[in-house]
Amino acid sequence: MAGKSGTTPATYSPSLTTGKKKPLLLKEEDWTRPDGRGFHQCRPAFFRTGAVNAASGSAYAEFGNTKVIVSVFGPRESKKAMMYSDTGRLNCNVSYTTFSTPVRGQGSDHKEYSSMLHKALEGAIILDSFPKTTVDVFALVLESSGSDLPVVISVASLALADAGILMYDLVASVSVSCLGKNLVIDPIFEEENSQDGSLMITCMPSRYEITQLTVTGEWSTPKINEGMQLCLDACAKLAKIMRSCLKESASDAQDESS
Amino acid sequence: MSVPNAAATEDLSSEMEVDAFRRLFPLRYFERHLAESIRSDGRPLREARDTSIFLGAVASANGSALVKIGSTTMLTAIKMEVMIPSLESPDEGCLAIDFHMPPICSPIVRPGRPAEAEPVVSKQLSDTITSSGMIDLRELSLVGGKAAWMAYLDIYCLDADGSLFDAALLSAVAALSHLQIPAVAMNDDGKIVLMSDEDGQKQAKEQVNKEKRKLTLKSIPLSLTCILHKNYILADPTAEEESIVETHVTIILDTSGQLISLYKPGGPVLAYTSAIQDCVALTRQRVKELKSFLDKENSAMEVE
Amino acid sequence: MEIDRPDGRSPNQLRPLACSHSVLHRAHGSATWAQGETKVLAAVYGPKAGTKKNENPEKASIEVIWKPNTGHVGQADREYEMILKKTLESICIRTIYPNTTTSVIVQVVHDDGALLPCAINAACAALVDAGIPLRHLAVAICCSVTDNNSIILDPSKKEEEKSKAFAYLVFPNTTVSVVPEKSSQVGNDPMAHGIITSVTHGAMSVDDYLHCLERGRATTQRLSEFLRKNIAPKSTREASKAG
Repeated sequence: MAGKSGTTPATYSPSLTTGKKKPLLLKEEDWTRPDGRGFHQCRPAFFRTGAVNAASGSAYAEFGNTKVIVSVFGPRESKKAMMYSDTGRLNCNVSYTTFSTPVRGQGSDHKEYSSMLHKALEGAIILDSFPKTTVDVFALVLESSGSDLPVVISVASLALADAGILMYDLVASVSVSCLGKNLVIDPIFEEENSQDGSLMITCMPSRYEITQLTVTGEWSTPKINEGMQLCLDACAKLAKIMRSCLKESASDAQDESS
Repeated sequence: MSVPNAAATEDLSSEMEVDAFRRLFPLRYFERHLAESIRSDGRPLREARDTSIFLGAVASANGSALVKIGSTTMLTAIKMEVMIPSLESPDEGCLAIDFHMPPICSPIVRPGRPAEAEPVVSKQLSDTITSSGMIDLRELSLVGGKAAWMAYLDIYCLDADGSLFDAALLSAVAALSHLQIPAVAMNDDGKIVLMSDEDGQKQAKEQVNKEKRKLTLKSIPLSLTCILHKNYILADPTAEEESIVETHVTIILDTSGQLISLYKPGGPVLAYTSAIQDCVALTRQRVKELKSFLDKENSAMEVE
Repeated sequence: MEIDRPDGRSPNQLRPLACSHSVLHRAHGSATWAQGETKVLAAVYGPKAGTKKNENPEKASIEVIWKPNTGHVGQADREYEMILKKTLESICIRTIYPNTTTSVIVQVVHDDGALLPCAINAACAALVDAGIPLRHLAVAICCSVTDNNSIILDPSKKEEEKSKAFAYLVFPNTTVSVVPEKSSQVGNDPMAHGIITSVTHGAMSVDDYLHCLERGRATTQRLSEFLRKNIAPKSTREASKAG
């Protein structure tokens, strides 16, 4: 193709003529969310395990328009360059498709997500159960529309469970955005772009333990407390949905074998 | 205990568990099935796996398709952007095809190290679409010499289980058949902008592409991969079969029966004319089948 | 039917062939192969111990590095690399030196059409020069289908661009098949009738392709005789040196 021949011409994505990108009226008290949700209402979540046959375990999730696939490989031989280790290793990678964002090829600069995913999962996995070997957790964000990292983390823990990797508990993750006076849970892309601050909690609900907590932006102490409580409640609910998805697939498998 | 050698496998096979036998002696396992004219997944030798096409899988794209052949899964999306056409071809747009194998799709792909097949499949797909003459690039022109469409076609392999090229080509073709070129106008700065419905009535700007439209696709190229083992021909191999048998033949025919490509990269088995003719016949049948799937999906979309 | 070719060749006529071997001192084996203006240099290093990841350690592995004459390695070069690797793997006896890697470096000197066949012929000559055990020789040829559906062999770059479609075909060649061919028997074809590799570009009818096969096959005789003539002296010289 002509476009491949080294000198790819500069392209742009045509925008809407009427440049009235309605700014979010977030500072107002009676502001409504773009997708019509309540402030403390999460997007409907859909989970499915076993999306990728080639992997040891995998899961797919849809939170509104955020769509993510996670594959787990292993435990398998560590890279040769790695030193001997008594405990297992966890290796994480998050990548985006070129069409995940409205404008092509803008989703790829989330290098920090891979290490954040690693930190969020590390505490939940019983690494002693697979010494000398590595478990690879690879995530691909098919479509991105906000709260990508929390979704990736939750799906990854489901994929790990699907692969039969021993964990202390499922890991659920939820974020809230602070928009003026309001706290909105499970923010979408537009909300994240105009947020004053964000808070993400990754926890193991059955044990009431937090594996990762990130806070960015401007927060007051009471707001942080409120946000954390919101997240923890949502995580507990999310974990319930994830658990029922696992049970479903397990009973399906039993039906098939019997 | 000594390591069992090939001669001992005959005796072992009766007492060994099936799964262990499959992993330890993949070739013998494979050949035992062939002798019974059946494959390890229960298919007859020359039958392709169940195939499904789902159009419009990516909401934010101008055209998209999700294709499954067995468990091999491909997700394709087309995004349209605007470019200034090159001087050599001022009346033509451009189509850029990229094939991606993200690490989620297969245990052999690792992050940071792109799979070997990636550039090869990308190149073959581009060649196929070009030489089939399926798309008239002039249809992608907007304003001669000033603006034209650049169609970015990205194919992601979500699950790799053999016959990757076939699935990739089918999903690319399906996405192209689903592609809707958005309605645009040129503003005073010479930039192309999208038109919303209200603008259409105002007629203030110079309209370039009045309404959403589809590309006219001439003959459509579709393919079938076969593997050759001794005198056997197996259609649409899985990843396991591909790893055991090294001789692959991919034939691409277009819907008018022209041969677009006959691709056989090496392999220990030589392809004789009779085998080639058999493969062509199988491909012809498969192309007909795939075309009917594609037509069905497209007419279902139109009803909606 | 007469076709005018720019250089006055007949449809079946190849461009002048040239082949020299052992041209590089450090390589274990090397050869240049030229068809008219198209020229390729191939060098073979190895077998070296060990195989790369994802390669079967129970067999000898072949690694091909393709160097274009100008510019960076692009998608087309990667495709050629893979085709060449698979083609060479099928002619080498890979069970003799398991868990080794043989590197074949192919440097394009000049491209004037039929580049891949030229590279395959060069690589094959270089493998012989390096003494890598081969099952049989491989001879490659380019057949091009012109707009009026006639077939010309070994097209130059100009002819390649003008043609509707072309096929790169690789045939096996053994000493046994040097015996003049008889009419092909259906069902029990001689080995030289099989194809190792086939790569095509452009749309053609299936019959055209089968014609290409026939015409290509008929020429392999001449190509292989030329190849054998050129690589023979070296092997006898080596033998006398060793003895």
